[in-house]
Amino acid sequence: MNAYIAQIRMNLRLTFRDRGVLIFGYVFPLMFLFMFGQLGHADQGSSSQIVNMVLTIGVLGSGFFGAAMRAITERENNILRRFKVAPIDAGPILVSSLVVGLVTYLPLVVIVISLAQGMWGMAPIENKGSVFLFLGIGVIAFRAMGGMIASVANSMQEGQILVQMFYMPMLLLGGATIPLTVMPEWLQTASQFLPSTHFSMGMKGIFQRHESITDNLSAVGALLLTAVLGTFLGVKLFRWDKEEKLRPSAKFWLVAVLAPFLALGAWQSYAKTNLAKDKMLERDSNRNHTFLIRNARLFLGDGTVIEQGSVLVKNGKIAEVFTGAAPDAKSLKAESIEAAGKTLLPGLIDVHVHLGANGGFASKQDDYTKADENIDHELAAYLYSGVTAVKSAGDTLDAMLKHREAIASGETLGAELFTVGPMFTVEGGHGAEALQYIPENVRATVQQQIVRLPKSADEARAQVAALKAKGVDGIKAILDAGAGSTHWNRLDPQILRAIGDAARQAGLPLVVHTGDARDVADALDAGASGIEHGSFHEVIPAALFARMKEANVTYDPTLTAVEGIAAFVKQDLTPLQRSLVIQTAPPDLLESTKALMVSPSVNSFRAAYAGYPVNLDVAQKNLVAAQQAGVTLVTGTDSGNPLVLHGPAVHRELQLWVAAGVPPAAALQGATYNAAKLLRADRRIGLIRGGYEATLLLVDGNPLQEISATERISIVFLKGEAINRTKLLERK
Amino acid sequence: MQNAIEVRGLQKSYGDVHAVRGIDFEVAQGEVFGLLGPNGAGKTTTVEILEGLRTRSSGDVKVLGFDPAVQVRALKDRIGVCLQATNLPDKVTVHEALEWFGSFYSQRVDSDKLIDRLQLSDKRNTFYSKLSGGQKQRVALALALINDPQLVFLDEPTTGLDPQVRLEIHGLITELRADKRTILITTHYIEEAERLCDRVAIVDQGRIIEVGTPREIQARTLGHSRIEIRTSQPMPAEVPHFQESEKAVLDGERRLLIVDSTRPARTLPELVKWIDQEGLDLEDIHLKRPTLEDVFIELTGKRLRD
Repeated sequence: MNAYIAQIRMNLRLTFRDRGVLIFGYVFPLMFLFMFGQLGHADQGSSSQIVNMVLTIGVLGSGFFGAAMRAITERENNILRRFKVAPIDAGPILVSSLVVGLVTYLPLVVIVISLAQGMWGMAPIENKGSVFLFLGIGVIAFRAMGGMIASVANSMQEGQILVQMFYMPMLLLGGATIPLTVMPEWLQTASQFLPSTHFSMGMKGIFQRHESITDNLSAVGALLLTAVLGTFLGVKLFRWDKEEKLRPSAKFWLVAVLAPFLALGAWQSYAKTNLAKDKMLERDSNRNHTFLIRNARLFLGDGTVIEQGSVLVKNGKIAEVFTGAAPDAKSLKAESIEAAGKTLLPGLIDVHVHLGANGGFASKQDDYTKADENIDHELAAYLYSGVTAVKSAGDTLDAMLKHREAIASGETLGAELFTVGPMFTVEGGHGAEALQYIPENVRATVQQQIVRLPKSADEARAQVAALKAKGVDGIKAILDAGAGSTHWNRLDPQILRAIGDAARQAGLPLVVHTGDARDVADALDAGASGIEHGSFHEVIPAALFARMKEANVTYDPTLTAVEGIAAFVKQDLTPLQRSLVIQTAPPDLLESTKALMVSPSVNSFRAAYAGYPVNLDVAQKNLVAAQQAGVTLVTGTDSGNPLVLHGPAVHRELQLWVAAGVPPAAALQGATYNAAKLLRADRRIGLIRGGYEATLLLVDGNPLQEISATERISIVFLKGEAINRTKLLERK
Repeated sequence: MQNAIEVRGLQKSYGDVHAVRGIDFEVAQGEVFGLLGPNGAGKTTTVEILEGLRTRSSGDVKVLGFDPAVQVRALKDRIGVCLQATNLPDKVTVHEALEWFGSFYSQRVDSDKLIDRLQLSDKRNTFYSKLSGGQKQRVALALALINDPQLVFLDEPTTGLDPQVRLEIHGLITELRADKRTILITTHYIEEAERLCDRVAIVDQGRIIEVGTPREIQARTLGHSRIEIRTSQPMPAEVPHFQESEKAVLDGERRLLIVDSTRPARTLPELVKWIDQEGLDLEDIHLKRPTLEDVFIELTGKRLRD
């Protein structure tokens, strides 16, 4: 024990006398901190990445130059030789190197973090224990690797080559300096075999995502294992004398030390969770910029308009809203986005979409292996169009939950997804018609994913509770007996009431698809939070709208779907010719839809739609009546229906509302604040207000005068990230 | 009294290379014993086996009663070793180095006393990198003595040092000898072995070819002294046989005569008498006793510093 203490004490003393340690351990990292802080606009939100980079460079330097080169130098200079005649073994020497690493590195961590907080206002570290523990384990592991290199290198030259072979790839490909997301996929996969990737990934997680050390157990485990293996083998292979040479094959022991990471890499090339995490981390950093949108007209979402105002965005949130002439961006440490002549709105919301249908006709039979990719594209198309949140009003449950999670985590970029999962209807009812075409062997599975067909009130209640447990955002029921030549079985209103009760108990908003006035009345009786569609063929009596107003029930007319279905029936391609539709739709889908529109193969499909009368005029009149009755209006589009392609449909919806006679401000409120209320998300989105998510749409012109200005998109912001819209729709 | 070192039939091979091919010797307590031989003779291998730094292939070895292959740590704790060509980190002071290494041993002497004794007092707080070669070597000796060892190994203690420093080190070793410590020196400096060692073993090609006091070895070998005589005029071509002499060689100008003799005290007067008789003027006369080096050359056919 004496030897350990003496060795550690002396080693520390020598280390602090070594100017190289000061220069490489402190001066250089701090230079990097200032340099990259300047280059990377650390004061505008990227400080934590820069801190990450500097600390990773520090750990690599400590391991490979601090531990490895120093040990090799001491052996080559015959210093270790002096120790070999003393009654000690390699243990104290290697352990003291690890301790010295810790003692010299951890102050750097404190200095770098304090500087970043002082200079750039980096957020305080909440999980200090995890930060220091993880960094400490990292230093020890990298020093153990360095020690191993020293143990197997037979000469200074060999040592230098090995050090560079370890250091350079780990520095450049580990994700700390160059983001993994800019690398080709094979390189990203290869990088997962590098310890520094897992180190920097864990550090980013702990730093930026406030994870704890237990969220990074695989990285911690691998680092610890490497530390133990490296120290153990280092002791075994330790050489005091440069004259003792190891056989060249001993270098394979390095592979043994890296084995935990080779295993992790192999696992990652299969699981790819780190690549996903890296995308999230990149997302986080994109969302952390500080900027000031200056001198725009502000439509706040609740109907209020500020003719000249500015919005400060920080850490993904709206930090402050200024009225009048804009403050100086520099003094706020913010990047300036000049927006004079433009209008800033909360991101638009579409409360009624079906992501499982593409709104057109694909040339091939639906390729189910592409389903996930298609949904990713659809959600990206919404975001591209400034529609920053959508609610799936009936789709396969598991797929929706998965995509909702991927979007929420930042792994994929797209509109925020809300979902009701499967729809409540009745056997033979609307919503269940597709089941008959599903092969019998998978029908039960598919049915479980897309519909609930309760036969009793109790069954309905149990089904609502089960969906709540699954994590849906709301409940959707269908109440429609059909019209014209279309006849569906209609859900028993008693069962609907049970659904309503259960939804209320579960704290989930119930929206009800209605076909006519009777459906609306029954839906209101059941305690619905929202009426979807109202009626496309029947005028809804004013008394019902009065009830809706009274009960604070929202009305979603889905006029775009009416227009789309009507156009489909008439073989009218106009809905496909809208600019944003052309920009966002997959080109092959657009082509095949145009071609199939006039092909006899869709005739039976068209006939099915033609059998249900829709009348845009009636639908618009119902909307205006609702508006005049003071009903809370929300925008849904029923995208996925014929000729209603995913993405920009809300813009058309707004235009149809204004054309019907709804004032633009009321329409825009329906697409923002009101919709957020129905989604029960109105405490974080739907308004421009301090503390709300910086999910915003900046458009050229003034949509309050000319509603189609919403289509002239300048910038879309999602949680503080200015979306690169062109890149968003790049398909592989 | 037990011997400090006993070596019987020691062999060490590295694959096909036989570095030590059967060595036997013992070193008594308090004795200064030298291993003399050229580089590659097997001296260092032998010593490192004794120090516990290398394992042996076969043979029996006891050092202070320990088997160095088994009781390595106990042995290292009790011996002092001064290896050739070792260094310390640049930024360690003399005093720190002694304290540092002292902490590795179970018994130790006071660092400051050792510093005084090795005349390093004014360098006590000087960094190692600022020391001269001789001072560094004195530090190395001090480190070898920090645990107050009964047995000290000095491996080429003066190699690479200038003559003045070498003398200093010799003085120190002489003092150690006065302490009654057992010392084993390896060297290829003949003078060093002659001056310092009680007994010497001459090692060549992994074997000991002679052991004894320097004087014994000289006597045991043919041990010729050489007499060189230079005259102002050429000597007669025919040189008579002188008593106890082996052979006489004249150089080309016949002004230099070299006579090998087993007893120069007898040969020399006859030789001088003969020069006188011939009426020649004696210009120079030189008597060279055989050195260990001469012995070595005679025994091995090669020079030590080859």
